[in-house]
Amino acid sequence: MTEIYLRLVNLILTPLIILVAILLFLRGHDLPGGGFIAGLLVAAALELTILSRGATVTREQYGPWLIPLVGLGLLVAVIAGLLGIYGGGFFHGMWIEFYLGGDKIKMGTPQLFDLGVMLVVIGMGVTYLLRLSEAAEAVSKNDAVEGEQP
Amino acid sequence: MSALALCLLLLFLAGPIFWLLKPQRSHAFAWLAALPPAAVTLWQALQMNAVASGSTLVERYAWAPTLGLEVALKLDGLALFFGLLITGIGTCIAFYTNYYLEGDRRQGYFYLVLYIFMASMLGLVWSDDLLTLFVFWEGTSITSYLLIAYKSEYKGAVEGARRALIVTTAGALAMLAGMVLLGLEAGTFNISEILAEPGIATAAITPVALVLLFLGAFTKSAQFPFQFWLPGAMSAPTPASAYLHSATMVKAGIFLLARLHPAFSDLPLWFWSLFLVGGFTMVLGAVSAIRYTDMKALLAYATISVLGMLTMLLAFQEEYALEAFVVTVLAHALYKAPLFLSAGIVDHAMGTRDLRRLAGLARALPVVALTVVLATVSMAGIPPTMGFLAKELLLENFYDLFEHSETLIGGLGFAIAALSAVFLGGAVFTLTWEAFFRRKPDDEAAHLHHAPSFWFAAPALLLTILGAVGALFVGSYEQVLLAPAIAAVAGEPIEVHLKLWHGLTPVFFASMGILVLAVVVFLARGLFRRLYARVPTGFSALAVYDATVDAIYRLAYRVTTVIQGSPMAPQLSVTLLAGVAVVFYAVFFTDGSTSRLLDSLEFPTLTEWAIFALAIIAAITTVRARSRLSAIIALGVVGVTVTLFFIIFGAPDLALTQLLIEVLTVFLLVLVFFHVKPDTPIAHDRREPFRLLVAVAMGFFGFAVVMVNHLSQVGESISPYFIENSLELGKGSNVVNVILVDFRGYDTMGEITVLALAALGGYALLRSTQMHALRQRINAARQMLASEPEPAKSESGREAGHD
Repeated sequence: MTEIYLRLVNLILTPLIILVAILLFLRGHDLPGGGFIAGLLVAAALELTILSRGATVTREQYGPWLIPLVGLGLLVAVIAGLLGIYGGGFFHGMWIEFYLGGDKIKMGTPQLFDLGVMLVVIGMGVTYLLRLSEAAEAVSKNDAVEGEQP
Repeated sequence: MSALALCLLLLFLAGPIFWLLKPQRSHAFAWLAALPPAAVTLWQALQMNAVASGSTLVERYAWAPTLGLEVALKLDGLALFFGLLITGIGTCIAFYTNYYLEGDRRQGYFYLVLYIFMASMLGLVWSDDLLTLFVFWEGTSITSYLLIAYKSEYKGAVEGARRALIVTTAGALAMLAGMVLLGLEAGTFNISEILAEPGIATAAITPVALVLLFLGAFTKSAQFPFQFWLPGAMSAPTPASAYLHSATMVKAGIFLLARLHPAFSDLPLWFWSLFLVGGFTMVLGAVSAIRYTDMKALLAYATISVLGMLTMLLAFQEEYALEAFVVTVLAHALYKAPLFLSAGIVDHAMGTRDLRRLAGLARALPVVALTVVLATVSMAGIPPTMGFLAKELLLENFYDLFEHSETLIGGLGFAIAALSAVFLGGAVFTLTWEAFFRRKPDDEAAHLHHAPSFWFAAPALLLTILGAVGALFVGSYEQVLLAPAIAAVAGEPIEVHLKLWHGLTPVFFASMGILVLAVVVFLARGLFRRLYARVPTGFSALAVYDATVDAIYRLAYRVTTVIQGSPMAPQLSVTLLAGVAVVFYAVFFTDGSTSRLLDSLEFPTLTEWAIFALAIIAAITTVRARSRLSAIIALGVVGVTVTLFFIIFGAPDLALTQLLIEVLTVFLLVLVFFHVKPDTPIAHDRREPFRLLVAVAMGFFGFAVVMVNHLSQVGESISPYFIENSLELGKGSNVVNVILVDFRGYDTMGEITVLALAALGGYALLRSTQMHALRQRINAARQMLASEPEPAKSESGREAGHD
């Protein structure tokens, strides 16, 4: 049985941490943050889910998405690089700037690349956490069974 | 205009779109699937007149301008000829696939890879830059691998795919080296410029470069001794076999040779390599084909033979040879693809494609039978088909040489061509007769369980009709389609006037004689099969390849047992001590280091003292911890104190990263140590002092690395450049992030690729079943130790920690 208070923490904290991660990602180009950090933070948030709900449940929920997420991240990163060809070469940074209600917003291929980094880091981090937790769960289940039989 | 790039993009994007559409739901998707390649075919057809009149379309895109790298595409006669074949046959294949993989849940995936292959192949023949060509080349290798391994539940499919990938990519690596040598010699990687470079053929490095390029071309085009991967590739679904391993991809090597032909065909090295390798491959493939009762295997060997023929033809500079080359490429694609597709329909309808179990299919599958008969007529070279025209030109070339100066080469070539044609004819007659017309099969007859619809058979029929009657109208397209391609191979404009009927020339009589002999081979097929059954299989290129791969595995295993056979701790000690030794040398033998070290020291502030104290306390706690769990947590505290340093020195990004890494590391370590029970006490034994020594040395190592890094500035620091240009060039005020994603984006790209591979590795290796098996092995080892005398028992708990 997983602890009830851990579930409560998971329910409140995990979405919050993911929100913070998104903020860190968005401001990353100008202020501390960025794709790598945001990716690690999301992985840490999902570890809370693993701890509270168990690896098996988490695997059912997120498992099928993890490896595709890694691939998608690489794809996004490469596309960000390829877009640069129209600006003068592979990985040439290209930016658009526009105003949204008086605030200057800028978007560029380096940020798209950063998104790719984030996706890869999330996918990799959660894959490892989940795999090892599953193994640990299997071990403890095994021990419990072994313990029952004299 | 960037029409060429847009065509490639269209085909690339068609893949994922089709994957999302789930095309297995309806046969209507067959029409939709044929649309993208048909559009590109149409566009190319519209360019024919312009290209024939000499205007080539060139597109160049900067890739890394500072290094002089670019993506260059060019549509000349040869590129257009191959391009039309690729997308034209691709249209038929795309249509056929929907029927062949009827109801298959992974049909969308097949289309995804197929379209990416199509785009890569088209990009390959359109390339006007050696490196661009290489990238597309590898694209075709990888997609070929994925398509062969499509039925991944069969061991044969996976093995065949791996073999094909290893052979072709090994050759491609050699080819890359050759390309680099050639490019450096010429001072450019642009193919047109290299070919136009005077003196490139006589440069000292050229023979080396050419041999390396040959390796790439010969492996890709299944030339002896690399031909063995092609029959193994027949595990692919039939549309892929017909398309990749017969009509297009295997001709990539030959395409490369044709591209380089204008500049290098004068060299004796060029002539003899291509003539001998191609000639031998041609005979080998032809005489082997009749041995096989699997329809696809038979066709695969026949393909090898034709690939050999094409290679041999490129050895020559004569007009006939180049005409024969281009016509053979066209004829072969138009008869071999339908034969493959028909074999696929038979397989689909009967559940087998083994000739021993088939007979009299003409009644059950009349449209397929018509297709196969027409293709057979072309393949055997019976007038008035395209195959006949190709064979006439081939024989004409050698006869011409024989009559004129080159008696030996002409005679040898004529003999090779005639012998191969006899056996190829015999093989295809066997296939058609046994499967479609004879009364009784050798073995238990297969039953028709799924009659094919007309549309399933339609693409093959269309191609075969083109091949059968195309030669009659050769005059209508020779000037726009064939002549520009021939001119591009020759490197100069050539007058082309192809005729189907040359009169009763000696070559015509030879051709008829070949047909008669082919019928004789067909009638004596039982004799040949019995004869081949006696040939020992041990001595073949495949056996040599398998033995080599086995030897590599065995060597790797031995090396690994020697250097990594011991438990984890001793292995780690070796690595760490080696690092320590290197830094020790650097610190004490680089002059002035130590004195400058003392000069640059500053007295720490109060805050820093506090953090030091915290870190040291945590470190001591780690070492003195009773259980692993507390050790891990204390280690986490050490890491967090380091984070504090980053904060007070104004590196918030590093601090954030470090903090998160510490948190995750603690989690991971706890999970890893769960297998050895994290709450068990850490054993103390006599090896502890040694471990302590290694740990202390490692501490100094870390300290020294930082110091050396700090003191030995070799060149001018690049940091000020980054700080100054971050906002202006990188459009970001967070310098760390701008460096990561913009200034050093290439590095990050490499790093996330490594992360992705690590994720895949972790996913595969850490499956709980695998971990469970590992644990069982550890337990078994423990029990074995426990059953030994008493002192060993206390060791066992500790050893497990090393694994």
